[in-house]
Amino acid sequence: MSQSLRPYLSAVRSTLTAALSLSNFASQASERHNVPEIEAKTSPEVVLNPLTVSRNQEERVLVEPSVNSVRVSLRIKQADEIEHILVHKFTRFLTQRAEAFFILRRKPVPGYDISFLITNFHTEEMLKHKLVDFIIQFMEEVDKEISEMKLFLNARARFVAESFLTPFD
Amino acid sequence: MLLLDYQNVLIESLLKDRFSPDSTPSSIDQVVSDFDNVTFHISTPNSKTQILISIAVKCYPELVKYGADAVLQREYGPYIVAPEQGYDFSVQVDLENLPAEQEEKDDLIRRISLLKRNAMAAPFEQAFDEYTSLAEQASHYTSETAPQGVREGGEVRAIHYRDQEAIYVKASHDRVTVIFSTVFSDETDRIYGKVFLQEFVDARRRAIQNAPQVLFRNDPPLELQGIPGLQSGKDKIGYITFVLFPRHLTPQRRYEVISHIQTFRDYFHYHIKASKAYIHSRMRKRTADFLQILRRARPEAEEKERKTASGRTFRVQA
Repeated sequence: MSQSLRPYLSAVRSTLTAALSLSNFASQASERHNVPEIEAKTSPEVVLNPLTVSRNQEERVLVEPSVNSVRVSLRIKQADEIEHILVHKFTRFLTQRAEAFFILRRKPVPGYDISFLITNFHTEEMLKHKLVDFIIQFMEEVDKEISEMKLFLNARARFVAESFLTPFD
Repeated sequence: MLLLDYQNVLIESLLKDRFSPDSTPSSIDQVVSDFDNVTFHISTPNSKTQILISIAVKCYPELVKYGADAVLQREYGPYIVAPEQGYDFSVQVDLENLPAEQEEKDDLIRRISLLKRNAMAAPFEQAFDEYTSLAEQASHYTSETAPQGVREGGEVRAIHYRDQEAIYVKASHDRVTVIFSTVFSDETDRIYGKVFLQEFVDARRRAIQNAPQVLFRNDPPLELQGIPGLQSGKDKIGYITFVLFPRHLTPQRRYEVISHIQTFRDYFHYHIKASKAYIHSRMRKRTADFLQILRRARPEAEEKERKTASGRTFRVQA
């Protein structure tokens, strides 16, 4: 792990652990509804201050807590066109499987590549520290995966080009 | 299977099967597709021993203009028959009238399965011939005294072999330039294509010094100035230029070079698609890994009380 990644991830980890103290909270606006307040935004008093943890200009995490839900949005590093398209494809791939991921939001918050929505029902069902672990691990591996795919593409392109041109030699 | 074959494998295996001495003649009626919207039709219209092979190429009139008739006449001579309805060119072989030697039979099979390659080769051959004569003419002059025509090189031969894509071949006294225009169907293809082409451009510098020079751009290159029907400006279209040097144009190498350069467009797009498929399967695997991690967050179900058939429960003795 690189020098600057460690403090970044530990800051995200503490932020998430602090933000994930959720309780069941029925909607104040409409009777018999129980919705994630961070999405509904109907009662401003139960929505807490959002917080951004940035590693650099490209990579940051936005944590938006509320009384019964937390929205976590990630921005993944995209240094060039290739990484951009790979990130786009990968996040699209994941969000299309959001049903299986429970906490994945189908659409990222504008300005971010992928968002998670954790509600009090999730924290009741699943272990809180493991959920935090998941997000941290996701952040670690997604970068690794993107750069590996990019390397693969370059290596393959080189190999393909050389084998086409060799018969001319 | 890294490089594409030049011949049509289906035709090759079909003829090989029919030509073998122990096969019984039977009727065939098959339509075979090849790259670049080329269609073959193999049939036995008159008798079971007479196999008719027809080819339809989108740009056949253009190929004829560049001398395809002569090339096909040279390759297929006695086998040529009048083109079948709906096709551009036909050859017919009679199983009762095959060459005696096995080697000659194999050669005939090979030549017929290369029908597409030979039809498309005409403009290249013409350009290579033109290069030879231009080079011969140019050797009489120094660079200052050369008249315009020699320095500028010959006309541009355009082969519109696909709906939106074309090959342009241009000869001049010291090289033959082959330009492919290609269309990227989506954004991902375009970006992957860029990575691939960058490697084509760099390969010469790095490893294969004798390879043709490869250039890539999104606007039509200057060689194509004044050619009608060129698209430009958009990222969707790309122009790839191969500069073939005299070393590639020697009579001994011509055949190989023409076959090989014809496959470029299909080879290039094939590998873009293959990379896409690989990356897709990789993402699928990674997604499964992530799901596995998330599943760990669920506490394991506590063990339920087990009962016997008669309804009594087990109890651990304290």
